[in-house]
Amino acid sequence: MADTTTVTAPRPSQTAVAAHTVDARKVYGRAETEVRALDGITVDFETGRFTAIMGPSGSGKSTLLHCVAGLDQLSSGHAFIGTDDVSALNDRELTVLRRDRIGFIFQSYNLVPTLTALENVVLPLRLAGRRVDQGWLDTVIGTLGLADRLAHRPSELSGGQQQRVAVARALATRPQIVFADEPTGNLDSHASTEVLQFMRRAVDDMGQTIVMVTHDPRAAGFADRAVFLADGTIVDELLMPTTDSVLERMKRFGE
Amino acid sequence: MLRTALKNVLAHKLRLLTTALAVTLGVALMAGTLVLTDTMKRTFDNLFATVYGGTDAVVRAKASFEGPQGAGVQRGRIDIGLIPTVRAAPGVAAAEGQIFGYARITGSDGSALGNPANGAPTLGTVWVTDSRLNPLNLVAGAPPRGPHQVVIDKKSAQDGNLAVGDTTTILVLGPPQRMRITGIAKFGSADSPGGASIAAFTAPTAQRLLAQPGKVDTIDVVGKPGVSQQQLVRDISPVLPSGVEAVTGATVIAENQTQVQKGLAFFNTFLLIFAVVALLVGGFMMFNTFAITVTQRTRENGLLRALGASRRQVLTSVLLEALAVGMIASLLGVVVGVGVAIGLKALMSGIGIEIPAQGVTVLPGSMLFAFAVGLVVTVLAAVSPARKAAKVAPIAAMQLGVAGSTGYGSKQRVFVGIGVLGGGVAALLLGLFTGVPSPLQIVGLGALLVFFGVSILGRTISLPLSRVIGLPLLRLRGVTGELARENAMRNPKRTAASASALMIGVGVVGLIAIFVSSIRASITQSIDKTFTGDIVVDSGGGVLGGVDPALARDLNKLPEVQLAAGIRQGVAKVGSSAVVVEAGNPTTLLRLIQPQITDGSAAGLNTHSIAVYSATASDHNWHIGSVLPVEFAKSGPTRLRVAAIYNDNTQIGDYFVSLSAYRANFAAQFDHEVFVKIAPGTSSAAAVSAIKSVTAAYPSVKVLTRSGYVDAQMKPLNQLLALIYVLLGLAIIIALLGIGNTLALSISERIREIGLLRAIGMTRAQLRSAIRWESVIIALQGTVLGLVIGVFFGWALVTAMHDQGIRVFSVPILTLAVVMVAAIAAGMIAAAGPSRRAAKLDVLRAVAAE
Repeated sequence: MADTTTVTAPRPSQTAVAAHTVDARKVYGRAETEVRALDGITVDFETGRFTAIMGPSGSGKSTLLHCVAGLDQLSSGHAFIGTDDVSALNDRELTVLRRDRIGFIFQSYNLVPTLTALENVVLPLRLAGRRVDQGWLDTVIGTLGLADRLAHRPSELSGGQQQRVAVARALATRPQIVFADEPTGNLDSHASTEVLQFMRRAVDDMGQTIVMVTHDPRAAGFADRAVFLADGTIVDELLMPTTDSVLERMKRFGE
Repeated sequence: MLRTALKNVLAHKLRLLTTALAVTLGVALMAGTLVLTDTMKRTFDNLFATVYGGTDAVVRAKASFEGPQGAGVQRGRIDIGLIPTVRAAPGVAAAEGQIFGYARITGSDGSALGNPANGAPTLGTVWVTDSRLNPLNLVAGAPPRGPHQVVIDKKSAQDGNLAVGDTTTILVLGPPQRMRITGIAKFGSADSPGGASIAAFTAPTAQRLLAQPGKVDTIDVVGKPGVSQQQLVRDISPVLPSGVEAVTGATVIAENQTQVQKGLAFFNTFLLIFAVVALLVGGFMMFNTFAITVTQRTRENGLLRALGASRRQVLTSVLLEALAVGMIASLLGVVVGVGVAIGLKALMSGIGIEIPAQGVTVLPGSMLFAFAVGLVVTVLAAVSPARKAAKVAPIAAMQLGVAGSTGYGSKQRVFVGIGVLGGGVAALLLGLFTGVPSPLQIVGLGALLVFFGVSILGRTISLPLSRVIGLPLLRLRGVTGELARENAMRNPKRTAASASALMIGVGVVGLIAIFVSSIRASITQSIDKTFTGDIVVDSGGGVLGGVDPALARDLNKLPEVQLAAGIRQGVAKVGSSAVVVEAGNPTTLLRLIQPQITDGSAAGLNTHSIAVYSATASDHNWHIGSVLPVEFAKSGPTRLRVAAIYNDNTQIGDYFVSLSAYRANFAAQFDHEVFVKIAPGTSSAAAVSAIKSVTAAYPSVKVLTRSGYVDAQMKPLNQLLALIYVLLGLAIIIALLGIGNTLALSISERIREIGLLRAIGMTRAQLRSAIRWESVIIALQGTVLGLVIGVFFGWALVTAMHDQGIRVFSVPILTLAVVMVAAIAAGMIAAAGPSRRAAKLDVLRAVAAE
């Protein structure tokens, strides 16, 4: 597991790597119509940190997340969850990987509409046939402030509440890593702040690892580290980003 | 708009195919029934035209009365002395005596040919020497000349491997006759008259064996050239004694045709009921498919409205789509219907109901009718979805995917549903339990309304029903079971509509299973209670046939037999209605059959008395000592005194007379069945083999044990049952296609949800399992509702038929359990395609789907 990151920014020496890619490439189409969504990306996502992947539309940030999470296949190169090469797993192994070791938060439609909030939270555990760790569940639910909404169905929850339930579900299995794809994309700023604060606490209080794709500088401001993508390659990164520093950095893309 | 409608049809070929299939099947069954009916009608019309083609007039005894249940007109016979008188009348060119009676030919292997118990009759007749009056044409050999000579039809010769010069046994109402075959004949141009067998004897032999010496059934007359049939009748009538009439040949042909049509009416009704069931199922499926597609096209219809389409145009577009589907499906149905007719013909011949026709008769009128019915059903089914489509507001085009109504049904709807259901139940009970005119139509309407009522209430009862049915799944299948249950519950309207189609098929299956089971239980119970003997010897001759009373006498001589007694049957008119009268020796027969006499005594039955079934007696307010006006075809009107009233009519019917009364009033003397009690200390096997040594001389006779006797009585019913199950099976398969169809459509609505489930760790197997169980819940819902309705229908029918001898209400738990298990299996099969496609969905694309 060679560490061949081309980005040489300093990082805390004690951290392990929860997921990483090696020369990840994703190509759509052929010959003249060829689009290189990922053009040789090598990156580490450290355990216990909140990483934001930033970039303009079409930069390949969502594709990178999907490939690391085992939702999409790389054209070449490797993506690892822990020490497991995602690109070498079959559908069943990928499913089990997603179920047991990964948490997901999508932009919208995160919840099964026929199940209550609590049922949605424990759904991955039940799919795995695992026992619910009540203590952990109470911690997660308590942290996210969901205790009084558990018996409600998604249609009875606000957008912010629905995303908080999605965060709770992503945390319920104590996954190795949580992937969030524009988790605040559909929320107003108040609800966004709420959800991002919860994700922040999940990292700080529970030691969770989160990788979040976003184009919102304010969202990136909650992260420990922001990685900037453009045209399928990593062009820069910021440690301890703030809304302003991210905005500043993004302005330079436009130049 | 027409173009939009057609494009929609073409865009969804697969959905169209499965939906259209339901209508196609209904139309095919209907067209098949009509083709079969037309075929039979034409066959018999041709048959009678052949038989009476050369006959200008018929002289016969005036009708005494119409027999019960289409048994035909009961007439006395006429003296042969009248033949010369008729011949002497002006205008008469030739006149010959004619007889039709029971005669059964045995083949070269000694077994009796034909199946008169539930097939075409086996007939004996006179070889008429005047070729103009003889429908038979010799193809080999010569006419019969002596008392031991016979001409047989070509079909029997082929079936029995018989040739001119062979000697074979002919079974008649009397001792079996050994006869030499002198000739083989065609009937007109056919090998046999409508599947029936024919044995033609010389006139004296026919009188002796089929009627009585010196008697004939009719005198057939040919007129002189230039004399019309009407003129001929006017010429003959003055010379006839009172009680004898002359009618034209055309009249006789018309009478026979009407008679056959009456006989076929039951059969037609029976098949048409299945066509209606199939069309009903098809209609429900159509409605369901259109309702779903209209919901899915909400945005599209909104767009059309926003672009300036009027409500009427949207409505018309959906109806045109239905019209197109209906046309294709009905056209296909009509074509398939011809095949169905051929198949039904073969199927029925397989179970012993021979339809004697080559090919089938396809009449444009019938085809057009079936086509029109299919079209109307399809378009009617689309009316409500079309109206819903027209109500879509233009703004819907701008809104995000509107998930269809998941309503549980408005209060108004519940009231309407309860009203329709109540009306249906009321009509059903009214038709079954009160003496309204045309009860069959009212019962049918009631049954239809019950189905509709339950369907209207479907979406309201669907939710709790899915909840209960899915309950065991939570335990058995964990989270996948829970998801299946939730998905079945999420759109009660749709679940109920898919289940409705299945409900109808299962409801009819349930009704029939209960009805047959109750009949069997009633017969078994009655035989247990009333039959004290051990063995029944059945004549095997059906209603026309019977066995020589000598058989019972011979059996009584066996040391293995303690007692043997025969029972006879005949038709008489009691009061104003024609009925079947049974007869036997009151002292011997009523020791073997104990009909539970409640009043009076059967021992005193004589020539002037009669015993009556209790329910019949109370209907007419008859008591011991009442004197009934009775009319017999042979002996005319008489009066019989009620001497006994009994409680069980399974063996001896509603009316029972002594042998002496029977001998006095009926021409033919033969036993329909012989009941036997084995001598004490004799094993059943020894008795059976001793009895069989005696019955060997009577090839059509069957020796039955008690359980064999029950089976034999159930046999015609069981055969009918097989046919019913085949037809219903088709309807149920179509209903399952409907469930598969609905499932596929609702899965296409939940692609994102499926993607989400897969993303957070649901395996393909788990997904497939969840969809399978969802399908099972829908299927079970239809099955449960169907069975509840079926049990109710069955109970109502059995209760209504209490006085007809069905006294036990028996629910065949095993059969119904098999239906349930089959529903589970079928639900899984229906889900196979949709679940496989869902499991194959690319996760990422599903998550990102609009």
